[in-house]
Amino acid sequence: MSNATNIPRRIVEPKERPPQGAWMARVCLWVICATAIVPFVWMVSTSLKSADQATAYPVKWIPWPVQWHNYVELFESDRFNFLLWTRNTLLVELFTVTGVTISSAVVAYGFAKIKFRGRGVLFALMLSTMMIPFPVTMVAMFSIFRWLGDHTGMQWLGTFKPLCVPAWFGSAFNIFLLRQFFLTIPDELSEAARIDGCSELGIFFRVVLPLSRPALTVVALFAFMGTWNDFLGPQIYLQRPEQFTLALGLQNLQSQHGGTPWHTLMAASTLVIMPVLLLFFIAQKTFIEGIATTGMKG
Amino acid sequence: MAISRLERNNLLKGLAFISPWIVGFCVFTLLPISLSLYYSFCNFTLLQGPLYRGTENYQTINADPVFWKSLRVTAYFAIVALPMGMIIALSVAMLLNVKIRGMAIYRTIVYLPSLVPAVASAMLWLWLYNPKLGLINTVLSKLGVTNLPGWVADPDWAMPALVLMSFWGVGNTVIIYLAGLQDVPRELYEAAELDGAGTWAKIRHVTLPFISPVIFFNLIIAIIGSVQSYTTPAIMTPGGGPDRAAYFYTMRLYDQAFVFLKMGEASAMAWVQLFIVLALTGIAFWSSKKWVHYQGK
Amino acid sequence: MKSLKSIVITCLGILAIAVLFFGPRAGSDVPPGRIVIDYWEKWTADEEAQMRLIVNEFNESVGKEKNIFVRYVSTSNVNQKALVATAAGVPPDVAGLWDGNLVQFAELDALEPLEEMAAAHGINSSTYKPVYWNACNYNGHLYALISTPAAVALHYNKKAFAESADALRKADLDPTRAPATIQELDAYAKVLERVDGAGHITRSGYLPMEPGWYVTSTHIWFDGDYWNPTTHKFTFTDPKVVASFAWLQSYSKRLGKDAISEFRSGTGNFDSPQNPFLTGTVVMEQQGPWMANYILNLKPSMSGVKQPYADDVFLPLELRQQHCEWAAAPFPSNEPGKTYVSLCNFDTLVIPKGSKHKQEAFEFIAYVNRQEVMERLCRMHSKNSPLAKVSQDFLTHHKNPYIKVFEDLASSPNARALPQSPILPEVGDEMNNVIQRLVLLRDEPEPALRVLQAQLQEKYDKFAEIQRIRREKAAAENKQLVEK
Repeated sequence: MSNATNIPRRIVEPKERPPQGAWMARVCLWVICATAIVPFVWMVSTSLKSADQATAYPVKWIPWPVQWHNYVELFESDRFNFLLWTRNTLLVELFTVTGVTISSAVVAYGFAKIKFRGRGVLFALMLSTMMIPFPVTMVAMFSIFRWLGDHTGMQWLGTFKPLCVPAWFGSAFNIFLLRQFFLTIPDELSEAARIDGCSELGIFFRVVLPLSRPALTVVALFAFMGTWNDFLGPQIYLQRPEQFTLALGLQNLQSQHGGTPWHTLMAASTLVIMPVLLLFFIAQKTFIEGIATTGMKG
Repeated sequence: MAISRLERNNLLKGLAFISPWIVGFCVFTLLPISLSLYYSFCNFTLLQGPLYRGTENYQTINADPVFWKSLRVTAYFAIVALPMGMIIALSVAMLLNVKIRGMAIYRTIVYLPSLVPAVASAMLWLWLYNPKLGLINTVLSKLGVTNLPGWVADPDWAMPALVLMSFWGVGNTVIIYLAGLQDVPRELYEAAELDGAGTWAKIRHVTLPFISPVIFFNLIIAIIGSVQSYTTPAIMTPGGGPDRAAYFYTMRLYDQAFVFLKMGEASAMAWVQLFIVLALTGIAFWSSKKWVHYQGK
Repeated sequence: MKSLKSIVITCLGILAIAVLFFGPRAGSDVPPGRIVIDYWEKWTADEEAQMRLIVNEFNESVGKEKNIFVRYVSTSNVNQKALVATAAGVPPDVAGLWDGNLVQFAELDALEPLEEMAAAHGINSSTYKPVYWNACNYNGHLYALISTPAAVALHYNKKAFAESADALRKADLDPTRAPATIQELDAYAKVLERVDGAGHITRSGYLPMEPGWYVTSTHIWFDGDYWNPTTHKFTFTDPKVVASFAWLQSYSKRLGKDAISEFRSGTGNFDSPQNPFLTGTVVMEQQGPWMANYILNLKPSMSGVKQPYADDVFLPLELRQQHCEWAAAPFPSNEPGKTYVSLCNFDTLVIPKGSKHKQEAFEFIAYVNRQEVMERLCRMHSKNSPLAKVSQDFLTHHKNPYIKVFEDLASSPNARALPQSPILPEVGDEMNNVIQRLVLLRDEPEPALRVLQAQLQEKYDKFAEIQRIRREKAAAENKQLVEK
């Protein structure tokens, strides 16, 4: 920015564009937004139809009469145990979100604020672990957890542990995010605290963390979303249907011998999506800024 | 090399802070990777212990036409969906950068699809793509199209269906591009306009070079993502779809491991996948010297 | 605006906490003090409800006596989930696997052998019809018992036959009976199908791929075998097997692969009033005995009954068959002299290795296999019985007016079960792919089957070799232990 040539400010506000350009952009945006929204509308529309209407041909847009009981049935259904699975998901969320946030913050602080030998190498190593495809560790992790179950008397597979415990050891992506953020906190603040006799841990808790609330919120939000949407992990580690999370449970509604109940499936999908959408609308700004930050200084 | 007291203190403090990651790295990354390498040389059904078999697994997958099919399918997806996805995301981001009213709403709407759990969106699109009852074919037939594609039920249309669907969730990428675009200093555009540059020239000479680090970042993420694609095709084309037309690599890997209980072969496939990702990102990094311009910060 | 946000956040937070603390927990419905048996089963909707009745009965009677509580868990992809759970060391106590997975599980040592417990309950080879008993045994052990069996037969629309009586007679075919040979089947199909001017199929007389649930067993009706259990060799290139695949492809060659694809993707869901057999879009199809149930529920007029149909079963059988617009008959065989050929598959009840309550689990399995209970379950599911002894009441007052056809098929010397190959899931996977390619006209039967045979043989040989090495290792280790 400092090497841009200095141009005298124009009199006309750069914001005012010739009307034609804005009109075209608006049309394109409308089309794009329609493509984004229509599937949602269709999903909700199908979810409010009866089985016959959902598979009727030609298709109708507006469900009539509105079958609210599709949703009620879901709460009572044995095939889609909504409340139980929501509870499972929330339980896993509780442990993973706190685990990820705390551990990533601690590790990120180490990488950002403490100059130690080999820091660069270790950081690069950590970043490179993001490139390891999950399948490479998938089978071995399954086998390790099985071994632990057999030899330590504590079952891992078929419990939530494989999903929750690794979160407490930092996640490369979030460590990266927080480290970038911590780097923007001026060193003078830490120095001042150090002069006052604060230990490193103290600086972390009393100086850096309080200033990092927005970044920590972003990390927590992303961790929440990631866990809510996670499918492969639960598919491998959760064996018993009563332990399913929502994402995994959604698949339980698919039928093998033809006859997927689309109206029920769409209702279930709507229920699964709602909390995340709500969360997004509430924390929109934080979300978008958070994502934006990840792309910066790549 | 003597290490000063301060340095030693810092080293200890630093390691202490990053110790959770170090432990996690050893237990959840290093250990499984090494085990997985060992398994790739064994026959392992999990119900029975690993039996050393040398390079047999690698030879088997090399001779297995389904392995190569899954590689081709994944490569097709990466080569087609990746660049198109990035171009679309960038174009949408540029549109979202125009100063018109209500932009916040547009941005929100565009981002919504990427919030959806992959499972839910796969099911939704499975329903949209239904050859007889789905919305897409209904709209197409209203527009007068006679030969309606069978989408995921048709071996020739399964991959195009998945590629098209992947564009629905570009929201994440769009936001990242948007942030990058908003960083481009206005003065550069004005300078270019003074030189008589039109829209396209401005994009080529100002926008793209300035946001090249962002493009690079998205490229790496996209490469890693497309090589690992699993959830969406697993739901939309279980078993690989008609004539295995959409049998992605990770799907085949998962089937080998958890359906046929051939964990050894699955591990061999996983290591091949690792090498592919490393090679591709290596190429991306090497080529980045040529086209990525960092604004020294 | 900000306060609205805080209100929403607080509400969500409270909701989340409420669900976390007061939400349902797994296993909260079990009466205290009982041993819990987890039973994973594939059925949904009506079939699930009917099995739950039996489960509840057990819990109230034998369960109460012996302190057992069976918990029915509806599981999609049950065989895969059970396999992984067994591999994970946390299997269900009883699993309702598809019979196709039985030998794979048994060979990988994932199932408990049941012969001792069965003998203690008086269940032996004379309890079942031979085809079912033999299929439940492998390598000298009994690995499964049956929850409900099936036999595959030809279902045809008598009304459509009657409507096309003249056309059929003109082609030298009898409209009052079902086709008896494959050639007759093709001939009937040609007369009964309707193709419009543009080549779109509006009605199918018969299409092997509709519903196509048993296409990988087509060779049975051509008197072929693709697996020789004594020589351990695949015999896909056997002329009879090749003929069966060629026949599958013949419909694509005659009607066009695109027409068939389009027709198939347009047919309604199986479990809905738009089921093509119910709407008359498909005149003949290969199905199991449960079809009667679906017709009764979704289109009772086709069964000639008035809802509720509870009293209908007490009418004389001939009358019921007369009222019925559809009928079942043995699926035509291509081998002259071989009649009553059928694929007899079944839903199993197995005890995975690692179950902690084998005896209790078997109590439940034995209960389901009591003649009275089994006949009740099979009547509810509209299936035939696997037991050798069948009551007269079962035959005359069964929901399915043609149940005798299925009983005869299951008792016939030509009844066949799935091949006992330990790599059957892989075989099925590859066979399905070959069939897809043949039907899409992307390949020819002979070369495709030759390649398939070579591939599968290699897979099997490698598998057998590794099993042999493992067994030798285990034997050597055992010897060492004994010698110590």
